[in-house]
Amino acid sequence: MTSTIVRPEASVSELEDLSYELREKLLLLCGEYNGSVHIGGDLSCADILTLLYQYGMRVDPQDLRNPERDRFVLSKGHAAVCMYITMAIRGFFDYREIVDTYGQLDSAYGMHPCKVQLPGVEVSTGSLGHGLPLATGMALHARRNGMSHRVFTLMGDGETGEGSVWEAALAANSNNLGNLVAFIDRNRQLMTSFAEERVKLEPYPDKWRAFGWNVIEVDGHDMGALVTAFDSLPEPDSDTPTVIICDTVKGKGVDFMEANLAWHAGSLNETDLKRALASLAHGRKAA
Amino acid sequence: MTSTASTAEVTSFTFGEMLSSRTVIGQTLKELGEANDNLWVLTPDIGATLVEFRDAFPDRFVDVGLSEQACVGLAAGLAYEGNIPVVSGMLPFLSMRALEQVRSDICYPNLPVKIVGTHGGLVGNGGSTHYAVEDLGLMTSLVNMTVTSIGDPLMVGEVLRQSMSMTGPLYIRLAVGKKDKVVYEPGSVTVEIGKGITAREGTDLTLFAHGETVSQALEAAEILAAEHGTDARVVDMFTLKPIDADLIQRCAEETGRFVVVEDHLAYGGLASQISDVLVDRGIRLEGFQRLGIPQVFAGFGEDTELRDKHGYGLQATVDAARDVVRGAAG
Repeated sequence: MTSTIVRPEASVSELEDLSYELREKLLLLCGEYNGSVHIGGDLSCADILTLLYQYGMRVDPQDLRNPERDRFVLSKGHAAVCMYITMAIRGFFDYREIVDTYGQLDSAYGMHPCKVQLPGVEVSTGSLGHGLPLATGMALHARRNGMSHRVFTLMGDGETGEGSVWEAALAANSNNLGNLVAFIDRNRQLMTSFAEERVKLEPYPDKWRAFGWNVIEVDGHDMGALVTAFDSLPEPDSDTPTVIICDTVKGKGVDFMEANLAWHAGSLNETDLKRALASLAHGRKAA
Repeated sequence: MTSTASTAEVTSFTFGEMLSSRTVIGQTLKELGEANDNLWVLTPDIGATLVEFRDAFPDRFVDVGLSEQACVGLAAGLAYEGNIPVVSGMLPFLSMRALEQVRSDICYPNLPVKIVGTHGGLVGNGGSTHYAVEDLGLMTSLVNMTVTSIGDPLMVGEVLRQSMSMTGPLYIRLAVGKKDKVVYEPGSVTVEIGKGITAREGTDLTLFAHGETVSQALEAAEILAAEHGTDARVVDMFTLKPIDADLIQRCAEETGRFVVVEDHLAYGGLASQISDVLVDRGIRLEGFQRLGIPQVFAGFGEDTELRDKHGYGLQATVDAARDVVRGAAG
């Protein structure tokens, strides 16, 4: 069956440009918003979200309810603003509106995504460890109804400490959901610690293999590698769910935020915003 | 709120007979599964009573094993896709272990997921881990949740049928569900979610109950009438949320005295819901007593033994009714 929704055409260098645009817009919002933004975890998953929305997923901003669309569940709900802006770049929302209303009374755009206030997002999330069960239910619906789309979710590595993630990992494999793809933003930082210091997730890929999942490991900031990983996904009608473990850096792209526990969340004054944008631009030139 | 149905729809069972709510659920789900091709049934390893549905609709049945959080999360995911999921299991675990999934994954987006389960109250002799005694307090606190507690097995099927047109979540609490008394003569009452059922008319006081304490309240009313000349009204408040505030007000005006008896913590359940209505509406009663589980983790024992031990059994109900009536007399 041919889908009525086509994937966007984008080269790796175009995707890199879109990722840059996303990070720049994130920082600008962070500079304008008079409150805290989860900028560290936004920057670590910016390339993954760009891959999904500007390359991988069959979605149509003009046809939100098309049954053939790929589904996306943002399990790490605190990266909502990164998703909003990615979706704005794709044509779902208006970036200016996001910046002008973010976090304000009656705005649809807040710290964690709300399906009721913002119907353009697939689900409401925020509490960690909830996304994979939701995505599993959606993938089960597709599988049992013979539908050919995929269901994607993005989790932080820290949230995989939640037991509900592993309950769903069992359920997804037990129900042969090859149409389910979980990206993990493996930035190796929790809110207050570096992951392996307090929580020993390693051997991390083996944990997923032990739960019966197909495991792909990739540099989460190498767009070419991300595209290759995406292109190697098994067909949606296959029987094994896939996890793509993306090796990332929290705060990626802004030197003073990278792997810095102080930048789990924060706000940018005028000086810091300039420094951040300069660092981002410098990194691009160097690359 | 929704269309009403009559107990006449199920005619093969008769008044006073013992019948399994689980049997009714199994039959009703199969019937509803035929009429609704988007009805799913999910369970965390409590599927024995769901065999009829599973066998008829294997593509819409999911047993996730012992994973309550995933079970509720999957149900939410299915509901996002336009399905009507029914999650069936043991309430102490669905209401507490999966509470956050119920709240944030189902109630927050207001999805039409039904949670139906057993072990509401001190039933089943499993000990305190296996008694749901605070579930109604938890569930009535949740935004968008409709909360019911059902004693008469025939009503379970009707509530499930009515729930097919509901747009939001629903909680259905049962006791053991293996052998329950048919409280109402089939066809004798109208079941409508959100409306209390006057199970017995009376003028001296109102006994409010839900679930299995309804039949106990009716028994108490017979004793009060026969031995004490007291005419007790019995109201089956099977919907705890939204509460039937108008009925409560009418009962206050017509009987003036209330006894609430429930297989739930005495604070946080129906008695608390009724108290809120009384205070909010400025209604003053001549007498009020609440009977339920005190702040203890109850031990083992049969349900009637536990009710007697903890002060909300049949005799305690009769005594409380006499107290509030006597108190009023002076």
